[in-house]
Amino acid sequence: MNVDITDLTRRFGRTQAVAGVSLQAGAGVFGLLGPNGAGKTSLLRMMATVLPPTSGRMRLLDRDPRSYAPRREIRRRLGYLPQNLGYYPGFTVAEFVEYFALLKDIPPGQVARAVAASIEHVDLGDKARTKLRTLSGGMLRRVGIAQAIVNGPELLLLDEPTAGLDPEQRVSFRALLRDLGQRATVIVSTHLVEDVGAACTEVALMDAGKIVFHGTPDELTARGEGSGAAGDAPLERGYSAVLAAARSVTAARS
Amino acid sequence: MSDMNAGLPPGASAPWATAPPDVDLGRVWTGVAAQVWRRDPGRVERLAGRLLRSPGLARALVATPSLLLGWIIATAVVLAVGVVATLGTGTPYVALCAPALAAAGIAYAYGPGIDPAFELSRTMAVGDRMVLLVRTLAVFGLNAALGLAASAASGVAAALTFGWLVPMTAACAIALAAATLARSANVGVAAGIAGWVIMLLAGRATLGQYTAAITDAALVFPYLLFAACCCAVALFASRISRGTS
Repeated sequence: MNVDITDLTRRFGRTQAVAGVSLQAGAGVFGLLGPNGAGKTSLLRMMATVLPPTSGRMRLLDRDPRSYAPRREIRRRLGYLPQNLGYYPGFTVAEFVEYFALLKDIPPGQVARAVAASIEHVDLGDKARTKLRTLSGGMLRRVGIAQAIVNGPELLLLDEPTAGLDPEQRVSFRALLRDLGQRATVIVSTHLVEDVGAACTEVALMDAGKIVFHGTPDELTARGEGSGAAGDAPLERGYSAVLAAARSVTAARS
Repeated sequence: MSDMNAGLPPGASAPWATAPPDVDLGRVWTGVAAQVWRRDPGRVERLAGRLLRSPGLARALVATPSLLLGWIIATAVVLAVGVVATLGTGTPYVALCAPALAAAGIAYAYGPGIDPAFELSRTMAVGDRMVLLVRTLAVFGLNAALGLAASAASGVAAALTFGWLVPMTAACAIALAAATLARSANVGVAAGIAGWVIMLLAGRATLGQYTAAITDAALVFPYLLFAACCCAVALFASRISRGTS
């Protein structure tokens, strides 16, 4: 298992952002759904080794990220796209991707080819020597994806990757996700259930820091059938039905 | 490919349109693109890469905001004005302003306030603390060298030429601690300059002269102790991870 998490929690002062999440994920595309404030980003940041957990056990790529040497090894094999990725406006696309390729410890002799391949993957070849300050939001998002995949990651964590992409780009991005998911564990946090339906082999739904559903997109869709839950698409109805059920259980307990 | 055949007789195809079946054109193109888009590291970056034994760390070093050419020129200009003022008035302006300049440079070396991709940088194999350390030492060293050159050029006594190095260490340390703790380069600059001004005014109040904060040998140990405490605070603050869900 590339991701093996048991009873993981994270607190920010009095706020419990992640409340006892257990998760195992191997190769494939794993969708993380949930409303705002559900704890998706905190969970992703912990897996990205940015944020230490308050409690619980986490193993990534069969290593314990709490120790320096395994954490460094994990980071060499990790791709991460944060929700708010900052950009160096004076860098070109190729320079930006190369910067992170070097920081990921890719051997210097392989950097140029890895940079070119990842830029081609996100279809930004014609913008490779363009300054980032001149690019649109969707293009910048693709630059972010390029840096995330430049090291051929075994664990790829993407926080709202399709935000700002136009429909055509989203379709090709989902194809890229499916391709990457054949070799690596790809975890995608998103609000867009159609991304999950089109690209994910597994899905987890988070609410109030907990995983309230874990299964396949088809199983999530099935939860919405005949439930009368709101939603335009079957998967959206499943999403709404699971959330409503989880919240009614919480309300009954309190 | 159809555009590439434009201008050819109907039914004819360009020689480049037919490639041997075992050639992976995508792979070839990636190889070509890699050569075209390759960036040649400058002399400083190559040297830093050899010294640090890490091309990533070297790249992070040359991208330091307070080591960019514009910043270095601005620092040199301020010190040059200090040299002229020192020569004209006899007041050691270089020694008085060098610690504050260095503190500002340190605050702008690395951190979430100045690095737009700081969150991403924290997930890299080349650790963010190592980047912070290397950048801080480089900024400190460069400012010390520029300050010493300016001090020597201003022709003041040896105690003043070298005396400000220890207070500079303390001013830099408080700037680093404040910038790391507040996650803001501007707060670091303000803390560094304010700390240094308070020391100058305190020296003026107790011994009657501004240079007391530089020349008083009794202050060396407190400066170094204070700097060590600030560095400990910076290390602790860079260990804490904060954020929202």
